[in-house]
Amino acid sequence: MIDRALSLARLIAAILIVLVFEDPGIFAEDKPRSDVPLGQGSLSGLEELFQSAQRSVVKLYGAGGMRGLESYQSGVVIGDGNTILTSWSTVLDVDKVRVVTYDGRRLDAEVVGVDPECELALLRVENSKLPGFVLEASYQVRPGQRVFSITNLFGIAAGNEACSYQKGVVMAVSDLQSKYTGLRSVYRGKVIVVDVMTNNPGAAGGALVDLGGRLVGVIGKELRDEQSGIWLNYSIPADVAAASVDRILAGKTRSAGASLTMAKNPHKALDLGMVLIPNVIPKTPVYIDRIRKDSLANRAGIQANDLVLLVNDQRVDSQKSFEQILQTIERGDSFQLLLQRGTELLRVQIRP
Amino acid sequence: MEALRFGSDGEPAIRRHPAMVSRPVNYTANVSSLRRWTSICLVLLGASVSPGVAQQEASLPQIASAELALPELAAEVLVAQQRRVEAMRKASMATVGVFGLDSQGGGSGVCISPDGYVLTNFHVSSPFGHRMRCGMNDGKMYEAVVAGIDPTGDLAVLKMFGRDDFPTATMGDSDQIRVGQWCFAAGNPFVLATNLQPTVTYGLISGVRRYQYPSGTILEYSDCIQTDASINPGNSGGPLFNVDGELIGINGRCSFEKRGRVNVGVGYAISIKQAMNFYGNLRSGRIVDHATLGFTVATDNQGRVVVSNILESSDAYRRGLRYGDEVLRLGDRDIATANQLKNVLGIFPDYWRVALRYRNEQGVQEAAIRLQSLHQPGELEKIVEGSSEQGAKKAGDTKPAVSKDVLADRYESRRGFGNYYFNRLELERIVKLQESRKPSLATSAADDSVQIRFVGSVLGESTAVEARFDLEKIHWTLGDKTNSVPIKGNWGTWIKNQEPMPIAMAMRLWYQWHEQGPRKLGEVIYIGQSPVLGKQGLLDMTRIVLGEVTAEVYTSVASGDIELIELFTDRQTDPAEVYFDYDAASALAPMPSRVRLQYGLESRLVVDLGKLDTLPVVKTEGVPGVQP
Repeated sequence: MIDRALSLARLIAAILIVLVFEDPGIFAEDKPRSDVPLGQGSLSGLEELFQSAQRSVVKLYGAGGMRGLESYQSGVVIGDGNTILTSWSTVLDVDKVRVVTYDGRRLDAEVVGVDPECELALLRVENSKLPGFVLEASYQVRPGQRVFSITNLFGIAAGNEACSYQKGVVMAVSDLQSKYTGLRSVYRGKVIVVDVMTNNPGAAGGALVDLGGRLVGVIGKELRDEQSGIWLNYSIPADVAAASVDRILAGKTRSAGASLTMAKNPHKALDLGMVLIPNVIPKTPVYIDRIRKDSLANRAGIQANDLVLLVNDQRVDSQKSFEQILQTIERGDSFQLLLQRGTELLRVQIRP
Repeated sequence: MEALRFGSDGEPAIRRHPAMVSRPVNYTANVSSLRRWTSICLVLLGASVSPGVAQQEASLPQIASAELALPELAAEVLVAQQRRVEAMRKASMATVGVFGLDSQGGGSGVCISPDGYVLTNFHVSSPFGHRMRCGMNDGKMYEAVVAGIDPTGDLAVLKMFGRDDFPTATMGDSDQIRVGQWCFAAGNPFVLATNLQPTVTYGLISGVRRYQYPSGTILEYSDCIQTDASINPGNSGGPLFNVDGELIGINGRCSFEKRGRVNVGVGYAISIKQAMNFYGNLRSGRIVDHATLGFTVATDNQGRVVVSNILESSDAYRRGLRYGDEVLRLGDRDIATANQLKNVLGIFPDYWRVALRYRNEQGVQEAAIRLQSLHQPGELEKIVEGSSEQGAKKAGDTKPAVSKDVLADRYESRRGFGNYYFNRLELERIVKLQESRKPSLATSAADDSVQIRFVGSVLGESTAVEARFDLEKIHWTLGDKTNSVPIKGNWGTWIKNQEPMPIAMAMRLWYQWHEQGPRKLGEVIYIGQSPVLGKQGLLDMTRIVLGEVTAEVYTSVASGDIELIELFTDRQTDPAEVYFDYDAASALAPMPSRVRLQYGLESRLVVDLGKLDTLPVVKTEGVPGVQP
């Protein structure tokens, strides 16, 4: 076991050293600063890249602030500048997510949709006038490549203060195979693993960029291997994020049409045998408190403490929206739920 | 965010590191386990690096001789690398490891003067009390004492003994650093450097002008530098360098939260600008304080930073600032948010006079305002006593009593001071500067048979001016009007009423200072270095309590000449400011050729001096002093 760890470490060290020395971009910025007239606003390439890229990263504020749950995180502005891609977390469990831009403006964002599998969410702001990253599936990185994170980790920046930069090197691009490790994550797909601590409180949803300032990944949530205690520093690659955004946008189109038709004789949670936790806040999550015996829900395999994320691929952000969506489904019709149980995602079919 | 001293406080967290979960509690065991792990890492790196290095070395001569086509960038990389290696080598020489007398615990520091003054964190020095040892990369330990401390800004100045040619760090300009520049930290993380060679870690400037709230203490980091260069417990007080090896900050804190006390890519350094603003004050051996403005600001609904509350006793109020005025600039920095003002304020010591630009109904106004002390008298002393008592207790538990301290004569305890010894040292320095510049009069101020007389005229007028003093009274003549005041007492009213008389009081002080030295004038404390309006750089400032009036004397660091004497009755009233101009070409030199009196920001009277002479004392009734 130790031998394996050592050889792995040696391999990584070798990759890092070789690639660090091969990559001219890394030290090309190390030209003597005396070449640059000081105080005249002239910037080296890297400084310029940083100044422009950080304009497409926003600070997000929402629910939380207790029991180790931060009420803030980061987000990347993509496309036309009015769309923000971020981590799907409890921070977004509010009516309007507060967005603070690089120049200190405060905007309100609405959650357009979420992708539970990638734990990504898409927010929409109006008329933001922000430059957006191009979210392009072909912007991929390889191990050894120099990358930078831009995040508001620890909530260090406020108002018009710039988000924080960290340097890193891609250690691996691999699937997050949490079955064989102590990493318990809902997302199990491809990740970019870096050699520095990018995934700190508040960093989730931030940008991972390459030396060209291109968005190559979105910083994932904090993730700790429960066996080893090691924190994983990873990002969701641009291609996965791009596909996820497509899915979210597609799902949104469906839900808009579906919600128009109310069922004559709709489903109700209680009739299905699901008792939810008390609905005390506007965005109470759809946690199952208990399941009645011999109910439809019981037969479908739903258990207490499950969290309902999607109904027929429509996003459920509160108990209210759960009831609303159920009202569009006829009592006689079967439908699908996406549940989160611990860190597992599972789909169940309710068959009346 | 937490402070980063490595010592007994740090151990439990270090033990949390998975590599050390089962290691014994005590410190030496931790270090040895760390060392074992480090050596494993070194072996790994060594194995992987060497082929690459060999290749590079082999190809170098080839470029020169056969002009083989190595990619152009590769050469650039090698040049950059060589530059970095050189910068780090030089920077390492000035980096200091700070240890207790039993060589335990500690942090880092950086040497900034050849005679051994070291900048470090207050939280590094405080647990050791006033005595510590400093290790440098020549492999030697030097005995050191604390000089001044800044508990609010987490700075301390130590003085090492044993050499007069300590290697020093080259000063950088922390105002010029930008996000994206490379930097490196040097120091003693985890107290690894038992051979006293500092550990160097490379990183980016992640953010500038950061503000970090006090974390459970009064330690506050304002306008600080954020870096992802790995800063860990033990790095505290150590230097942060730019890529050219110029000193840009003093490392001191990290954001940790739930991952234990190891770096997570977020460290903070006090800017070297702030450190050097305080350095002069810290050399005074005092417990130095930070500043308040006497007003608060808020951001209004149009996004302007406006005064939300102002003390009528504040200097800003006397300079015309009022509730609702918009604050535009403090020092050399534009203010766009309320947070920024707090951030900028943190880099200034108390008593400094800084530029303030604000907008009221009449338009944009420029003023210079005096900063007030952040803490009440005695408040900081209490905090410091608390922390050093704890430190002393801890030290008492573990270390054998030092039988005879080799530096016992370099420490003097006095309330309000980290080490009063340094205050005397600085005063001696100032006295020495002006010793050779005594006015050449064939008398001494203690001679009661003669009077000293300054004669001159009002600038641009024929009005005659005379300041004359004997051992009892100061006589001041302006035109045909003469007033007298006792040499001690009754000065306050003249200052409060903004009369011309204080110009004569200041001239007498000028004379006495040069004739007798400052220490005979009253209770004297060297405060440090502060800027003076219209003068380049910082000046030495010495405070003399003369009964009801306090004089603050600003002298040139280079020549020791008195440039300004301010006479205060209290801090709620404008002082009388008396400026002295010198003209080396004039026959009067080294006497001032011109003296100017100012209240607030307005000149009240300018006098061209003609001569300084003596008169025999005339024992007559004279003209009785007319009180205003």
